[in-house]
Amino acid sequence: MTGPGRPRPPRRRRALTALALAWLAVLATLASCTSDSPEPVTLRVLASSELADMEPLFDDLRRDTGITLEMEYQGTVEATASLAAGRYRHDLAWLSSSRPFQLLLRKHGRQTESPLSTSTMRSPVVVGLKPEVAQRLRRAAPDGQLSWADLADAAAAGTLKYAMADPRSSNSGLSALVGVATAAAATGGALRPEDVSCDRLRGFFAGHKLTVDSSGGLAGAYARAEGGLDALITYESELLALNRAGTLRAPLEIVYPKDGIVLSDYPLMLLDPARRDAYDRLTAWLRSEAVQRKIMERTLRRPITPDLPRIPSLRTPLGNALYFPDDQAVVDRLLADYAAARSGGPARVLFLLDFSTSMRGERIANLRATFDGLGGADDSRSGKFARFHQGETLTVLRFGGRVLDEQSVTYGKAGDLERLRGFVADDGFATSTAVWSALDHAYRSAADALAKDSRQRVSIVLMTDGENNAGMSLDTFLGRYAALPPAARAVRTYTVRYGDSDPRELDRAARATGGHMADATGQSLLNAFKEIRGCHE
Amino acid sequence: MVAGERSVVVEEPRLTVRRRSSGSWSRRSLLLFLLPVLATVLTGLATLTISGNLLLPFERVVVLEGKMASKRDFFEDEEVRRILLKHHISVHITSSGSREVAMRDIAAFDFVFPSGQPAGDLITGVRAADGRYAKVHRPFVSPIALATYREYAETLRDAGIATPLPSEGADRPLYYSLDMRKFLDSIDRGKRWNDLGIRRHGIANANRIVAQSPDVCGSNSAGTYLALVSFTWRGDGPDVPTTDQEASSRARSVKHLMEQGLPAADVFRTYISPDGKGIAPVVVAYEHQYLTYQVRHRAETGRLDSERVLLYPSSQFVTQPQFISLNSKGDRLGELVTTDPDLRRRAMELGFRILDPAGEVAGDQLARFLTERNVPVPALRGDDTRSPMPRIRYLERMISIVGDCPVAPLPDQAR
Repeated sequence: MTGPGRPRPPRRRRALTALALAWLAVLATLASCTSDSPEPVTLRVLASSELADMEPLFDDLRRDTGITLEMEYQGTVEATASLAAGRYRHDLAWLSSSRPFQLLLRKHGRQTESPLSTSTMRSPVVVGLKPEVAQRLRRAAPDGQLSWADLADAAAAGTLKYAMADPRSSNSGLSALVGVATAAAATGGALRPEDVSCDRLRGFFAGHKLTVDSSGGLAGAYARAEGGLDALITYESELLALNRAGTLRAPLEIVYPKDGIVLSDYPLMLLDPARRDAYDRLTAWLRSEAVQRKIMERTLRRPITPDLPRIPSLRTPLGNALYFPDDQAVVDRLLADYAAARSGGPARVLFLLDFSTSMRGERIANLRATFDGLGGADDSRSGKFARFHQGETLTVLRFGGRVLDEQSVTYGKAGDLERLRGFVADDGFATSTAVWSALDHAYRSAADALAKDSRQRVSIVLMTDGENNAGMSLDTFLGRYAALPPAARAVRTYTVRYGDSDPRELDRAARATGGHMADATGQSLLNAFKEIRGCHE
Repeated sequence: MVAGERSVVVEEPRLTVRRRSSGSWSRRSLLLFLLPVLATVLTGLATLTISGNLLLPFERVVVLEGKMASKRDFFEDEEVRRILLKHHISVHITSSGSREVAMRDIAAFDFVFPSGQPAGDLITGVRAADGRYAKVHRPFVSPIALATYREYAETLRDAGIATPLPSEGADRPLYYSLDMRKFLDSIDRGKRWNDLGIRRHGIANANRIVAQSPDVCGSNSAGTYLALVSFTWRGDGPDVPTTDQEASSRARSVKHLMEQGLPAADVFRTYISPDGKGIAPVVVAYEHQYLTYQVRHRAETGRLDSERVLLYPSSQFVTQPQFISLNSKGDRLGELVTTDPDLRRRAMELGFRILDPAGEVAGDQLARFLTERNVPVPALRGDDTRSPMPRIRYLERMISIVGDCPVAPLPDQAR
């Protein structure tokens, strides 16, 4: 009836209509009886910058749940500050860690309920080392396992230059800072304010050569500046991703410092309770096995669900997690020290050393050993953190009845420490001890130095093994100290009691300047010197 | 439009053909329509039959809003959800620490399910004072314990702090008794795991000894652990503080024993994750959490996880979750949870010690169930050795000091 090639649309059209109608009916039924029908919804999310790598999953999210995420990226610390102000402009917050937020809530007495929060994945902040650097550092470590202390040691010596995000704005930087500070304090517990009253990280900071504001941009910045750097401190996931991308000349070797790591768990927080339904859908989706697997494979973060088999690169044991301080004051102190190291002027220490005859023999040997130790020979953990560091100016004033000589060196290369050793190798001793006249002299030197560069962070260390028997009295000194210009008066003196010196006078002098006394009669001279390194009071 | 006109012409005869068949739909069209519909109906029926919800589409399911902490494990269980659906109930859960539940507004919920009596008392006290509905059901109990790893338990054993308990059917002990006094002594002296010689067992840990718990200001397990610690550390004092002053000084004397920095949420899930040994090697947990984990591990892998073990503190603190219905809808669920045989059986399978109507631990059903599943039965003493919890007023005071958080507003009768 119909010629070849003649169309038969009406019949087919009817059949197609029937089919379409049928499927519509089915879909309608399905939609009405399925409770989690993907009703389209858009959620505004305040997110940590590094979560930009989740975006490839968002198409799946929209398809599976009807949820569209509108991400606004910020550094974690900045995002936290806007949350703590209590005025939420977003439906959700998705941060790498809620610790900064919890600390702020605690600081304000925890009067408000914290938002509903669900961990979504995990990644520790660890160290990516160039293979040859890892090899070199490992040779020096007795058990071949690297610690934060080893890294701090190398950074102070100038043999480790690393990139790390700014801890004032990024969570990876803050986690690294807390990790290394906890390792330096070595109490085995969470840091307390008294554990951070002295800055032990100046040596570690000396190696911090590249920084960016947010963790998100750090890997790229490292890749561009690879040539001049030895290491990248950031999330394990970022390091693995960088290695997988193959853009580096040599992949970084990932080191989990043996003295412990800090993890992030990427909590998703509900800010607007009216969005609860969508939030539930989103968290259920994120924690489903299929999505956890995708997250693991794409972003290289560790799954939060316990029983999902790991890809090989995520099977490495993490070592031990460090306890995170629960006091905002600790974090504030660490950040202030960091800020001082970044933008404060160079550090200068004036060592005022007693070279009277009573120091001859064992005592002077101990003093020389102390300077060797501070120069890098001390293998202990505290030694690695407290040692002299690159960029530091060290002035030695030897004194007896007067200041015998005054020599300075700015530590830039190994030979500079040789010169420093030479300053204390002199065997000329004086018969009398003019402690306070010498300290007075040191303050004049400090004032001169500050007049040349007012940004310098100057401190004085006074070591004596005898009582003042020449020159001015302590009271005379204190009178002259009080008359100094404010900048010089701000220079603190730390006194080291050794041998037969007068502890009451040494303590009084130190306290008058805002410093304190370390006692080398009950411990080694080296330990007493280490005790006052980097102190603020 | 030429083609269109032509086609109209050609079409004419076929119209007759169609008229001859039934109505305006051909058999083929009808089939095309019916097949998907039929398939859907069949699939739906099958799904409903399998899930046991055959009648569901025809009866309304009531969605109940509940707020709870670790007891969400019960309501999130697939089997429990299925049983509840048979009763046309579905539960929507909001997670929160148990004390957090008590501290916040719960008006939007049909029921709350704090993990222990202190938080339950807070809630019922406040509700009673306001003259509002609250009915308590106590379906089961679970002792507080410390979940850890083999190396840690063996290190404690070397130090004379832990002793293996009989764990029939396991090659190595799964359960240990923990001498709380000695354990706290080590913490008091600032000992680290390395000091106790953990390196002999192949791992190193320079961290101080501590049992990690969730935030004591939010969680029942942490609050109960605080009660356990302060009971153990009471010295010559009474078992529990009986004045505000005693509570304060007791809290200050144990604060350092629980110092762990910023607490993490969900410590048990972290503990059972592959990274647990590094992140959460010793955690405060409920016995039921551990038993559920082992039963599931055994079912999935055919063997026990002999790396993860449970320490039973020498003084036993049994927690009693409080199902508190806040309206009659919630109460229907409360009744079910305490009386429905299927739900009671499932609670037992989830490692809870279920209570009989008189409030006593019901026989040895849990022991029988564990034996069936080839999971060793923990040898526990009877309930008569249960240690005393401080009165809510004093516990609250201790919590606020140890956790550095506001005291809960207590109703007058609790003061």
